[in-house]
Amino acid sequence: MNQSTIVEINNVYLKSDRGTPIFHNLNFKLSHGRSAVIQGPAGSGKSSLVELLIGLRRPESGSIELFGESFGGLASTRLNRFRLKIGGVGGLFELISSYTVAENIAFPLVLAGERIKARKELLLKMLSEFSLIKQAGAYPRRLTRVERTLVQFARASIANQPLMIIDEPSAGLDSGTYGRIHEFLVKASFSGRSMIILTSEKAVEILPNTDYYQLISGELA
Amino acid sequence: MTRLAFILNELYRNLYRNPGTALASTLSLALLFLLFDLFWIAAGTSEKFYANLLSDLRMHVYVQESVAESEIKSLTTAITEIRGVMGVQYIDRDLARKELAGLVGTDLLVGYDDVNPLPRTYIITFEPTHVHSAAIDSIEASLKNLPGIGKIDYSRDWLGKAESTRKIILNIGLILGALILFTTVVSSANNIRLMTRTRAVGFWQMRLLGAGRMFIAAPFLLEGFLIGFLSAVFSWLVIEYSQSKISFTQFQLVLPPLSQVVWFCLASGVLGVLSGFLGLRKMFR
Repeated sequence: MNQSTIVEINNVYLKSDRGTPIFHNLNFKLSHGRSAVIQGPAGSGKSSLVELLIGLRRPESGSIELFGESFGGLASTRLNRFRLKIGGVGGLFELISSYTVAENIAFPLVLAGERIKARKELLLKMLSEFSLIKQAGAYPRRLTRVERTLVQFARASIANQPLMIIDEPSAGLDSGTYGRIHEFLVKASFSGRSMIILTSEKAVEILPNTDYYQLISGELA
Repeated sequence: MTRLAFILNELYRNLYRNPGTALASTLSLALLFLLFDLFWIAAGTSEKFYANLLSDLRMHVYVQESVAESEIKSLTTAITEIRGVMGVQYIDRDLARKELAGLVGTDLLVGYDDVNPLPRTYIITFEPTHVHSAAIDSIEASLKNLPGIGKIDYSRDWLGKAESTRKIILNIGLILGALILFTTVVSSANNIRLMTRTRAVGFWQMRLLGAGRMFIAAPFLLEGFLIGFLSAVFSWLVIEYSQSKISFTQFQLVLPPLSQVVWFCLASGVLGVLSGFLGLRKMFR
């Protein structure tokens, strides 16, 4: 494995808290600049895969490497360092309810130690790109579901992290908004950012530089 | 710098959003510290009171009749050399007679000019560091070893009682201090825990985005420091104000020096940080 590999999962065995196997022998590789769409029905283990990737769960056996480094048994400080490189949308990646839209979007830049001036410029760009200027000072509880999803996309994009994990990108979106999101995904694919898109939708829009997988019976096919 | 600005902004946000909690926390801690301050002052005042009393402690050492006048000089030197002895005053028979006459108002020994029966004595004072039972016992033992020393007399019982009173005050101070320390920590920790509980989901999200524990905890630890420090400062301001308005004629209150008060306020701030850690401990498990 080298630096150009973003994610490499080898022979991962994971079971649920009740002891039921989730992944029997999971293998997955994502190279820099490429993306993956993982399709699977509800309960197939998509959320567990996200949890593995952000270090919320540890596999019973097998190895996970992110950005060229082993991910097993990490101390929390190193885990944070990995998480800083991941932008997340949907599923686990909710908005911080005590922050405004602008603060939520800019939060990855704060963690990255970006200067206030640069932060403001990037924030303005994101607010404008996702049509969230009017909502900038609003708190998440005042937003519609569509707006919340857009804020998550803006937050996942602002720091230009090398990996973006998107859990159910089309969930609750009207066709118009989804069209804009798809446009964003296409742009992101071309920009060289890697994405892992998890969806239960059977019909998935075609994206450039993307591999398609199906998560069935705890294995990727 | 960005992170520091963010942490300070978070601190402001916490205080702005929960002013009632912060104020209640500050006032309740100030009340506890005020109690401690009052005891501190009482202990300092009583300590000075006892120190003044003890500095007046005198030991009367009687010289045996068998000791010749020519030996007095060497005896005086020997007494002076005993460790802890500060002053030695020799009272010969004539001086004793004069003092007796002064006390009684008339010379009772008229006609006894050649056979003055009054004893010769030494009046001994002690170094301030040696005004305690153990040191005085040691001085007494050294005196008894000298030839020609008779009865030794001093306020032994009174000294014992004074020492036991000081010990009681010290013990009460320690218990009160420990109690206040414990109450302060528990109270602050609970306040911070309550403040963070409502934001637990938000903290979880921050952690998923890569925020470290210290990054999230820092505003609350700072808040703990501020509340602890300001409570202690407030309690001392109340003391200073009260002291300027009240005056005692029988005794003077002894306030700790400013440097000790500053250290106390800083230590209270550190106590607040410790409370913050305890309040956040469960959340970060």
